[in-house]
Amino acid sequence: MLRAEGLTLGRRLREVSLHLEAGLMVAVVGPNGAGKSTLLQVLAGLLPAQGRIRWGDRDLARIPFLERGRTLAWVGQESHAEFAFPVREVVAQGRHAWGDDGQGVETALATLDLAELRDRPITQLSGGERRRVFLARALATGAPLQLWDEPTASLDVRHALEVLHLAKRLASQGSTLLVSLHDLRSALCFDRVLVLDRGGLVGFGPPEQVLTPELIHAVFGVRAHTAEALTLEL
Amino acid sequence: MRARGLDTLDTLGATAALSLLLLVAVLASLALGDAYLTPGAVGRALLGRGDELARTVVWDIRLPRTLVGVAVGAGLAASGVAMQAFFRNALASPGLLGVSAGGALGAVAALALGGAAASLWTVPVAAIVGAFLATGAVLMLARRGASPEHLLLSGVALNAIFGAGTSFLLALSAGQFQVSGQILFWLMGGIENRTWEHVWVGLPAILVGCLLMLPLGRPMNLLSLGEPSAQSLGVDVKRLRWQLIALSTVLTALATAVGGVVGFVGLVVPHLLRLAFGPDHRRLLPLSMLGGASLVLLCDLPTRFLPGGLRLGVMTALVGGPFLLWLLRRNPC
Repeated sequence: MLRAEGLTLGRRLREVSLHLEAGLMVAVVGPNGAGKSTLLQVLAGLLPAQGRIRWGDRDLARIPFLERGRTLAWVGQESHAEFAFPVREVVAQGRHAWGDDGQGVETALATLDLAELRDRPITQLSGGERRRVFLARALATGAPLQLWDEPTASLDVRHALEVLHLAKRLASQGSTLLVSLHDLRSALCFDRVLVLDRGGLVGFGPPEQVLTPELIHAVFGVRAHTAEALTLEL
Repeated sequence: MRARGLDTLDTLGATAALSLLLLVAVLASLALGDAYLTPGAVGRALLGRGDELARTVVWDIRLPRTLVGVAVGAGLAASGVAMQAFFRNALASPGLLGVSAGGALGAVAALALGGAAASLWTVPVAAIVGAFLATGAVLMLARRGASPEHLLLSGVALNAIFGAGTSFLLALSAGQFQVSGQILFWLMGGIENRTWEHVWVGLPAILVGCLLMLPLGRPMNLLSLGEPSAQSLGVDVKRLRWQLIALSTVLTALATAVGGVVGFVGLVVPHLLRLAFGPDHRRLLPLSMLGGASLVLLCDLPTRFLPGGLRLGVMTALVGGPFLLWLLRRNPC
C-alpha cells in the first residue's frame, strides 16, 4: 500500500497526495510539463521533495538503499547507453539488491520478447528495444511497486500492447503500478487514472469517471468525442 | 550455465595473458639499458648474488624505475576506468579534472625555486601538494553535489589556471638553462633516475588505492548505465560517486607526483581493453591495472636507447594519439 501526502517540489509538483491499495494499476496522464516524470521520480526516492511517502507502514525515505531496490523499480525515459553491455547482463542488474542471484532474469527476458537479443550489446539496439531491456530489468527486480515513465513511448503497437498487458498481469498478482502515458485511450484500460496539470493533482479515480470530455478539455485543451474508432488488440 | 563458465574462462585467460605481458615488461625493464643483463643475471642480482655491478644496476637504478613505472601505469589506468564510469563517457581521462595539472604546477614551482638540489623528496612532495590542492578543489565541488557537467567545466577552469601558472614559471626560468631543462623534462613525464624515495611516495599508496577500487566494479556497471536507475536498483549513488572521484583523483595525484605528466595511459588502456573484453568493470578494473603498468614499462624502454627528447610522456602520446584518432574514426560522435 502506497500513501503519499503533500508532495511538493518547487513549481514542478504541488501538494500531491495519493493513496493506493496494492494490486492497482494507475495511469498517470497530463500535458507536457505537468509533473508526471517528477512525480514518479519523487515516489522512487530519486528527487528530494517535501511531503511524506509511506510504503506499507514504513517511511520510504528511511528504507535503506538495497532494500529500496527490492521494494520499488523505476524505469526512466532516458535510454542512452554509452557502454556495450550485453542485454542479458543489463537485465541481470535488476538482481543487484538481491545479491545478483540471477532469479527471474530469464523469465523477464522472455516476457519482454528479448530472448533473441540476449547477447546483443545494448548500444546496438533501437530506442524501443532498449526501452524493453530496461523494463525487463525492472521486472527482474520482482519489486512490488513498479514506476514506469512513458514505457510505451517508443514502442511499436504490438510491444506497447504487450507492455500494457504485462502491467495488468503484475497488478493482478498484487503489484502496484504507476505508469505515465500520453495516450489517453490506453489509460482507459487502467484501474485508476491520475491527472496532473501544472504540478497539481486535478483528477483521480476510475478512468470512466475521471476522463470526462470536460476534464480533458480543461487540462489538454482538446475536444473529446466518444465515437466508434479503430481499436487494437493483441 | 555454459555461458557463465565460458565467461570465467575468458576472464582468467585475459588476466593470465596480461599478467604475462606485465611480467615480460618487468623483466625487460630490469634487463635492458646501457648495460644489458641476461635474465639469469637479473634473477641472481634480485636475490643479492652475482657480480656487484649487476646488483647495483638492478637494485639502485632499474628496480626503482620499474616499480615506479608499474605504480604510475596501474594508477593512471585505474583512475581512467573510474573517470569513464563516473562521467559515463569512454573519452574521459584522469587529467580531466585538473589534478595532473595541479601536480605539474607543484613540481614546476619546486624546480623553479631550485628545490631539486635541496633533497630528492622535494619535487615529488611538491607535486603531491599541488595535485592534492587540485584534488581538494574537485572534492569540495563534488561534495556539494555538483553534477558531472559542473565538475567537468570546473576541471576545464582548473586545468587553465594551473597551466597558466606552469607557463609563467617556465617563462620566468627561461634564462636559467638547467632549471628550464629540468622543468621541461618533468612536464613530459618520465621514470628515469627514480630512487627508492619515489617508490615509497608512490607505490604503497597507489596499490592501496587500486585495491580499494576493485570491489566497486559491480556498482560501477550499474552507474555507467545511468545514475537514477542505478539508485533505484539499490546503489547508494551519492556515496559511490564520492568514492570514485576521491580514489581517481588521489591515484592521479600520486602517479603525477612520481612520474610527471604522463598522458593517454588512463584513456587508451581502459578503452582498448573494453573493446577486447567487454565493458564489465569487475573485469575491466584489474585488467586495466595490469595493462596500464605494462604500457608504461614498454613505452619507457625505447627512451633508454633513443635520443634524449623521446621521453615517456612523448612515447605514450605517440602511441595514444593515433589510437584515439582511430577510435574517433571508428565511432564518430
